[in-house]
Amino acid sequence: MTKITEVKAKVEAGKAKLVPGLVQEALDEGSAAGDILQAMIDSMGVVGEKFSAGEVFVPEMLMAAKAMSKGVEVLKPLLTGTSTSSLGTCVIGTVQGDLHDIGKNLVAMMIESAGFKVVDLGVDVSAEKFVNAVKEQENVTIVACSGLLTTTLPAMKETVQTLKTSGLAGFKVIVGGAPVSQEMADEIGADGFAPDAGSAAVKAKELVSA
Amino acid sequence: MLTKKQNLMETIKGGNPDRFVNQYEFMDIILEVPVQLMCPPGSEFKNSWGITFRWPEGQLGQFPVHDDEHKVLKDITEWRKYVKAPVIDNSDEAWAAAVAHANSIDRNEQFVTAFVAPGVFEMCHHLMSMEDALMALYEEPEAMHELIDYLTEAELNYAKILIDRLHPDALFHHDDWGSQKSSFISPAMFEEFYLPAYKKIYGFYKANGVELIVHHSDSYAANLVPYMIEMGIDIWQGVMTTNNTPELIKKYGGQISFMGDIDSGVVDFPEWTPEIVAKEVERACKNCGKLYFIPNLTQGLNFSSFPGVYDSATEAIDKMSKEMF
Repeated sequence: MTKITEVKAKVEAGKAKLVPGLVQEALDEGSAAGDILQAMIDSMGVVGEKFSAGEVFVPEMLMAAKAMSKGVEVLKPLLTGTSTSSLGTCVIGTVQGDLHDIGKNLVAMMIESAGFKVVDLGVDVSAEKFVNAVKEQENVTIVACSGLLTTTLPAMKETVQTLKTSGLAGFKVIVGGAPVSQEMADEIGADGFAPDAGSAAVKAKELVSA
Repeated sequence: MLTKKQNLMETIKGGNPDRFVNQYEFMDIILEVPVQLMCPPGSEFKNSWGITFRWPEGQLGQFPVHDDEHKVLKDITEWRKYVKAPVIDNSDEAWAAAVAHANSIDRNEQFVTAFVAPGVFEMCHHLMSMEDALMALYEEPEAMHELIDYLTEAELNYAKILIDRLHPDALFHHDDWGSQKSSFISPAMFEEFYLPAYKKIYGFYKANGVELIVHHSDSYAANLVPYMIEMGIDIWQGVMTTNNTPELIKKYGGQISFMGDIDSGVVDFPEWTPEIVAKEVERACKNCGKLYFIPNLTQGLNFSSFPGVYDSATEAIDKMSKEMF
């Protein structure tokens, strides 16, 4: 097993204490920082798929993300500014009137692990706050709106429509949360929908690459 | 006509109920205990464990606050420093209202029901945030076992008082173990950390005269049903449609019963109509059948978020009873 394969395996297994040392060993072996980063991103993709399939649960996903973040710390000095966030910035938040944050936090973590820079606006975020974040942050490519309550679907619709009519461009809007469906996402004009955190990262990458 | 209590027992024992058990009708839940559980909308309060809950105006419930200032348990390895079980007021005066309520209930008709919330799993993440609580299961398993043992002991101490004061026939106990699509933790992790705690807690109630354990988790938790049975749950309240309730009834009916299958999110919203409620009730009753099933909104108490929804479901269930029995 090469060191880079080992890094990949240990990120997937959530071994946060082992990953930094293995990343350093992979670098010492001559692997490029970008390749190691990509290996870790791929691992998180696998973890996301397993989560979507119900094979792993929230703790495993949290541990894998922590392991990756420890590995990225070792790589950071060696990576250029753009290579850690080559997919751009994702602005994420739970829509106004909804305080649920667990699902949103998982999506933020998976999207960050996929290679985006993430700006987390928190919970109970107004449409105006989303718009302002798109204006203020650099290279926003994705805006992700989360909501758990059926009662906050109107707020999600308002957020999507406010973003779409803001005159701002260059980003796609994805929505998700328990009461959200593809049909509903289409109806309110969102560019994408994901049923869980693992597929949210896949969808975000897909939309940005399109 | 069977009493509400008899009809419930016929339903969960696989006998001959004469109608559907209609939502929470079999339990008279005693909430007048000297422990503050909720704050009114638009306010916040600190509970007896020091956990701050906030219920912003316009929201459907309260949430624990976990910013740096408010998080109670900041380091799991030092849980003893941060987590102090409250002393429960056990004076006659403090329990007078609850005891009077218990005494007013016809025990032949309904179960005198003690209420406990939150449970051990929720207590862990209320104290330290969901992320910290779940990662600690991997990173500091020994400390988590210790914390869970401590919380279990605190629950048992409260249980002693509840039993002594109210002599409950049933327990309605809240602890959400999943999201709408999956359990928060794997079955193996649940078995290691939380099953032993609940075997102690529910075993204690059963050993002290409580006939019926009703556990609330309005979530997916189909993968945890074998553990629910092992820990002594008689009825899982809050079972959502994502669990495939008819399949669960087929697989586990006789060992445990299922209460819910009418997802609150689908019927309990500002634009609700009696037609939407009736349609969902009919689907649930017809799909799940007459035994080991209690049609009910998945919400964890006998009301709805929007006025009229709960009563509308009650009427629709009565209608289905007339049609199907």
